[in-house]
Amino acid sequence: MKRKIPLIIVLVLGITMMIQFFIPHKFSKDIYMNILDWIAIIGAFAFILGLGSIIRHHIDKIRRKKEHWPYSWVTLIAIVMTAIIGLGGGMEGKGPLPVSFPIVTSAGARVISYSIQTIYENIMAPLGATMFALLAFFMASAAYRAFRARTMEATLLLVAAFIVMVGVVPLGHFISPRLPYLAQCIMDVPNTASKRGILFGVGLGVAATSLKIMLGIERNWLGGGK
Amino acid sequence: MKIWSSLLKIDRRIIYLAVAISVLVPLIFPFSIPTNVMPPTQVLFNAVDNIDPDNQAMLISVDYDPQTMPELQPMLKALLRHAFARRLPVLVMSWPVQGLGLGKKGLDEVTAEFNRLAQTAEDSIIYGRDYVFLGWPPYWLAAVLRMGSDIGQAFPADYYKNRTSALELMKRIKNYNDIGLIISIAGSAAPQSWITYVNTRFGVRVGAGSTAVSAPDFYPFLNTGQMTGMMAGLKGASEYEHLVHTRYKTTGEMAAIRGMSSQSIAHLAILVLVVIGNIGYFVTRRKQ
Repeated sequence: MKRKIPLIIVLVLGITMMIQFFIPHKFSKDIYMNILDWIAIIGAFAFILGLGSIIRHHIDKIRRKKEHWPYSWVTLIAIVMTAIIGLGGGMEGKGPLPVSFPIVTSAGARVISYSIQTIYENIMAPLGATMFALLAFFMASAAYRAFRARTMEATLLLVAAFIVMVGVVPLGHFISPRLPYLAQCIMDVPNTASKRGILFGVGLGVAATSLKIMLGIERNWLGGGK
Repeated sequence: MKIWSSLLKIDRRIIYLAVAISVLVPLIFPFSIPTNVMPPTQVLFNAVDNIDPDNQAMLISVDYDPQTMPELQPMLKALLRHAFARRLPVLVMSWPVQGLGLGKKGLDEVTAEFNRLAQTAEDSIIYGRDYVFLGWPPYWLAAVLRMGSDIGQAFPADYYKNRTSALELMKRIKNYNDIGLIISIAGSAAPQSWITYVNTRFGVRVGAGSTAVSAPDFYPFLNTGQMTGMMAGLKGASEYEHLVHTRYKTTGEMAAIRGMSSQSIAHLAILVLVVIGNIGYFVTRRKQ
């Protein structure tokens, strides 16, 4: 029964939503709007589940002293602190918790703030940007090692990469005004052709998987076990 | 022989150093390179330029997080400058919750640029009249589908907790019929979802701002006309900054144009490394 009820709900709702799409009647539209509300509510609850799950995971890690367990403290403290500042201070720092203080120094009066936006701009934004910036170094190293004209296919890849890399920066236009258009041509024709093929494959795959889920053939989403 | 084979095994720390120098030196000593505008950026600029400000608004979706901020934040600011210079109403929302802070930062900075020069309330960019920050919906798909019938129902309150329907702008912007163009700025496949669920179903035009690494994914949609223009990577952002500045003489920092010298030299450095590796490969292979 535990498995049959969810399968019946998915089958009924899946077929209902497919039929609903083609019926422009008010009753059909009202059902659609109601379901959208339900999806939003369920989505919001998923965040509570997610938060509970991450807290439980890290508490368990600390308790069992698993590998890199001290970092779990960083995660938990960050969750608690941002929650207190965010909920107490509010989005604009106008909540009941004071999050900015005027101070007077030898350089003059100024305001110290630790609102959620200040934390975001000064901690999260630089950390995130730094992580992504590291990619440039790894990509340079990988390009140096991988782009070798060993075979015909590798040579084609190398030449295409060469043209696109020069063509997409202003330096390419400076070298020759034709280079950016050659790079654009590579993106427009061979790139689009291959991407389109992949997209067709993905689209058909999604349709097939959705049908399998609705018909109860694919049941992984129900979770493991019997 | 040893010299040639050593070209094949350059230590990765030397490569990292070469990349660091090629990025940092042009940032410290910038030089200007003329900006050439590519067709996808020009198409996007023209689309924004052709929206009727009296009847329609532009919706910008901040679908990125701080990781891709250096590449994508200049796009948001260039688009906002373009819209505000034309007095085109703007709605801003965010798909990932991490995008909220970036959306707010971009809006605060660009409105301050315009309001610094404003003489009267008419010249100023005013919240609720000229733009609305809708915030973030807990479940994106349900919200964007609901926006097709009523934006106020999808976002009952804005980012600042004002009742959306009470805002002056939202009295005339009801649903997608009042949106001239949606621009999804993303480092992911978010623009594709906007096409699937909003362009296909409601017929609203969708443009994109994308990281250079994701841009190739969207060319099939540009090709079919499902996507109305795109800014690809920092270069795309610099092209848009150039177009907006040339047409409207806007003020404010043009971060993407400033970064172009650095990116050009970094690309050149990587190409030189690839050439060195191939020279070493061919010479050692011939000698063997």
